[in-house]
Amino acid sequence: MITARYMRRRRANSIAMALSIAAAAIGLMFLTLILATLVVRGVSGLSWRVFAEMTPPPGSDGGLLNAIVGSVIMTVIGLMVGTPIGVLAGTYMAEYGRYAKLTHVIRFLNDILLSAPSIIIGLFIYEIMVVRMGHFSGIAGAIALAIIVIPVVVRTTEDMLLLVPNSLREAAVALGAPRSIVIRTVAYRAARAGILTGILLAMARVSGETAPLLFTALNNQFWSLDLNAPMASLPAVIFQFALSPYDDWQQLAWTGALLITVAVLAGNILARSLANIGAQPK
Amino acid sequence: MTAIADISANGREKILVRDLKFYYGDSLALKNITLPMYANRVTSIIGPSGCGKSTLLRVFNRMYDLYPSQRAEGEVLLDSVNILNAKQDLNLLRARVGMVFQKPTPFPMSIYENIAFGIRLYDKLTNSEMDDRVEQALNGAALWGEVKDKLDASGLSLSGGQQQRLCIARTIAIRPEVILFDEPCSALDPISTARIEELIDELKASYTIAIVTHNMQQAARVSEFTAFMYLGELIEYGPTSDVFTAPVHKRTQDYITGRFG
Repeated sequence: MITARYMRRRRANSIAMALSIAAAAIGLMFLTLILATLVVRGVSGLSWRVFAEMTPPPGSDGGLLNAIVGSVIMTVIGLMVGTPIGVLAGTYMAEYGRYAKLTHVIRFLNDILLSAPSIIIGLFIYEIMVVRMGHFSGIAGAIALAIIVIPVVVRTTEDMLLLVPNSLREAAVALGAPRSIVIRTVAYRAARAGILTGILLAMARVSGETAPLLFTALNNQFWSLDLNAPMASLPAVIFQFALSPYDDWQQLAWTGALLITVAVLAGNILARSLANIGAQPK
Repeated sequence: MTAIADISANGREKILVRDLKFYYGDSLALKNITLPMYANRVTSIIGPSGCGKSTLLRVFNRMYDLYPSQRAEGEVLLDSVNILNAKQDLNLLRARVGMVFQKPTPFPMSIYENIAFGIRLYDKLTNSEMDDRVEQALNGAALWGEVKDKLDASGLSLSGGQQQRLCIARTIAIRPEVILFDEPCSALDPISTARIEELIDELKASYTIAIVTHNMQQAARVSEFTAFMYLGELIEYGPTSDVFTAPVHKRTQDYITGRFG
């Protein structure tokens, strides 16, 4: 039966739906514009030189090799330092200390760290590492990235372990399995895809970070694998080159931005497909 | 509980519960339960939802210890040793007192690994010894024929009834003395249920068995002794035939005949 009340509800529904679609479209539009600009401007600068040559002085040919390698090195070290700490802390919170007061405190602090502006983390590392060592260094950059990795991994590890049903833990405990074995062989196994997803998301997050690197690793025009010396990175090079007045530098900045975006996108897609594999019963 | 003295001729007391009280935080869930469980017999625990029967079962392997707000008072003697003692080694206790849960809980690993997991906790075996133990356990749970060609398949790929038998196999693989069944058939179809009941009947030759069930016919079919609980109290305990045909308490009769619950 079509009453006035029903008609009003239908109208309200169409208005709400139209507004939602418009909002989604606006959001998507900006994303598409950003990606399109990146691709259009970035692709034209892509060549073998980008992956084979160092960042050039203005006016000469060059590539981004030192920046790419620097980014990879610092991201990998950051993950290697941050992941174990994050996974272990998340394990404590979800398994050993699930009912402990300490867990609530850690969770609260971790959430603050998770949303802390990364420039503050850069400043912090500048204070405790760069100032004391007397110079910028790749290792300081990697540690700054590790500090950004930790809260992301802590959060996802805890969340994913909390999703593992207690009945599974009880089943293992009922066989006489000590806690460490329950965690290692049952809880981790059930939460594996989710925890890996968190690590990949952390990787995607730090590989685009600029602010903490500017205060720590700074930048380096030359090929350098020395962790004790300033190190180039894609975000820092983009920052420097994009602000420069030179056309060739600006072109390299666009190309670098495209590379980071593609890498982050690939990381996210990988994370997502891993999560899907984990969700389906094998 | 004069009945207990009369039926002690039925065998050795594997478990003796004495004045057991159980708390969830401040609320009392079990009120002074006293109850024997005889070796190589099946004891069923029945009663309406929330009466404390699963709670009682979870005391026997101290599963409640996982949760800090839960605690038990009184005595639960397993071969005359009080397992509620703070010094009791919980892992060893749980290896002696196995448990099968309401919902099948296969681990996210292969069928073979599901069984080997528990064995490895206590024994270091060669590959062929392990193969034998796994086969034995699966045979014991009447599952070997169905899975012998796909031991590497995930335990999660089995049907519900098969998963539950896998969980039983996993439990008997570590050779416990007591097996606790917590509504093992409530998620299963009638055919799987019949198989599990047959299995329980076979298992009692080697184990002491306690089963919590909502299914009165099941209790009548599989058990020698029945305990009826209501609101955290043990209302009636005795040989199953007596409890079902000539209950002493009116409440037991009302529950068994379906007048409430």
